[in-house]
Amino acid sequence: MNALNPQTLKNRHAVAQVAEIPVGTHKIVKIPTLSREIEIGVFNVHGNYFAYRNVCPHAGAPVCQGKVCGTTLHSKVGEFILAREGEIIRCPWHGWEFDLLTGEHLVDEKMKLRAYMIETAHDQQNDHLESFPIETEDDIIYITI
Amino acid sequence: MDSDQTSNKNKRLLIDTDIHNGIEASELLPYLSGYWHEWVKTRGLGATSAFYTSPIGVMRNDAIPPKGGAAGSDPQFLVEHHIEKNGIDFGILTGSGILTISLQPDVDWANAVVSAYNEVTKTKWLDADSRFRGSILINHSDPQFSAQEIDRVATDKRFVQVVMTSASPRLYGNRFFHPIYEAAARNGLPVAVHPGGETGGISGAPTPSGYPSRYMEWHNILPTNYMAHVNSLVCEGVFEKFPNLKFVAIEGGIAWLPHLMWRMDKNYKALRSTTPWLKKLPSEYIREHVRLTTQPIEEPDNHEHLLQIFEMIDAKNTVMFSSDYPHWDYDNPKMALPPLRGELKEGIMWRNAAKLYNLGEYAK
Repeated sequence: MNALNPQTLKNRHAVAQVAEIPVGTHKIVKIPTLSREIEIGVFNVHGNYFAYRNVCPHAGAPVCQGKVCGTTLHSKVGEFILAREGEIIRCPWHGWEFDLLTGEHLVDEKMKLRAYMIETAHDQQNDHLESFPIETEDDIIYITI
Repeated sequence: MDSDQTSNKNKRLLIDTDIHNGIEASELLPYLSGYWHEWVKTRGLGATSAFYTSPIGVMRNDAIPPKGGAAGSDPQFLVEHHIEKNGIDFGILTGSGILTISLQPDVDWANAVVSAYNEVTKTKWLDADSRFRGSILINHSDPQFSAQEIDRVATDKRFVQVVMTSASPRLYGNRFFHPIYEAAARNGLPVAVHPGGETGGISGAPTPSGYPSRYMEWHNILPTNYMAHVNSLVCEGVFEKFPNLKFVAIEGGIAWLPHLMWRMDKNYKALRSTTPWLKKLPSEYIREHVRLTTQPIEEPDNHEHLLQIFEMIDAKNTVMFSSDYPHWDYDNPKMALPPLRGELKEGIMWRNAAKLYNLGEYAK
């Protein structure tokens, strides 16, 4: 299922079926490279997919095994506004919050999760029609690495 | 670099940000209503003392005025003995033996005392020498009254800050105190705290694990209370709520601040969702809003180490010289600090205080 992209010398890996990762869930997949196996968290946030390396840039924790949650927005003193449910992941070690939409730490935006290109497509090995504009549950999620 | 730092090179000043002017209880009488006269005569000032007394004495014997009375209680002698002798251009008066009035359980008595005392500061001290600047004493146990008192006294621009004891049954970020900060900010005045009352009156144990045995042990550990207050002020959002407010940590030491800033920043990176009103790192609030005074300056064997601490806390913008005259651990302005140069020297010896208190070229 892996296809070599001759321009970038990157590999496109089929990592899951769309049906496996419904909205609001995520899956940790393993992609073999020449030297080692890389763990990547694949997140479906409001129907959009995001792929992040399962290594926290802060201290090396398996960040994608943290809790997916919301957070408090900037507010007035003494006020708590809980929002962004499902858009934040909290690292399981030190509790740092990362924005799943950007990969950025909520305090220091330069501290970012390592992101990968992710796309969904119809599995063309099993179907010879050229294009399927509407995503179906049979589609495949690909990560290019 | 500020343009004023180049244009005013020759106008170096010396500003002492902690001078203890003494007071006798009887001096309050003209400013107290009749009801309280008997109280003064029988109970004195009513400011409660800490358990701990120094066996070597808190007051310098050489600071006792020739005419007698408490050290620092005679304005003319204080001018001769300290202001003139050291070439001090401005001296911030912080009071003596009365700061702990906030720890008096009777808030009505404490309110009466602070109002009378502020009048004494005005007529006995600020009128005596144009180099003196006053601190508005408040009773922190009654924040609403304190706010009124700040509004009342602040009309005299020779008062340049609000002062209260660092000893308190509550941490200073607590919203109980916010009316004080609101009034100070409204009048463009910093709020200063001064140590020494810890264990007095309604304040609690000076450490979360209880009571030190002796004065030395107690005095060593006073800065933990400063850490607790600064931490509380930042975390409770006081500087977000009152963005113009400055907080002056008098006589609480300096070298603990890098640790506190780093620890707060580290925790904020994990726990910011619990203080969503904070918009930047805790250390940034501290650098912008907290000022520290030097005395009793830490004296490491290698004075380079203190200069490194100064660098860590941006001392050229945050630290102000203080002598603590006439107390036993007085810092001589000519000898106490390691050799300083350039902006660091200017900032510590006068510029930071001049900016904060609107003195010299910063006078409004």
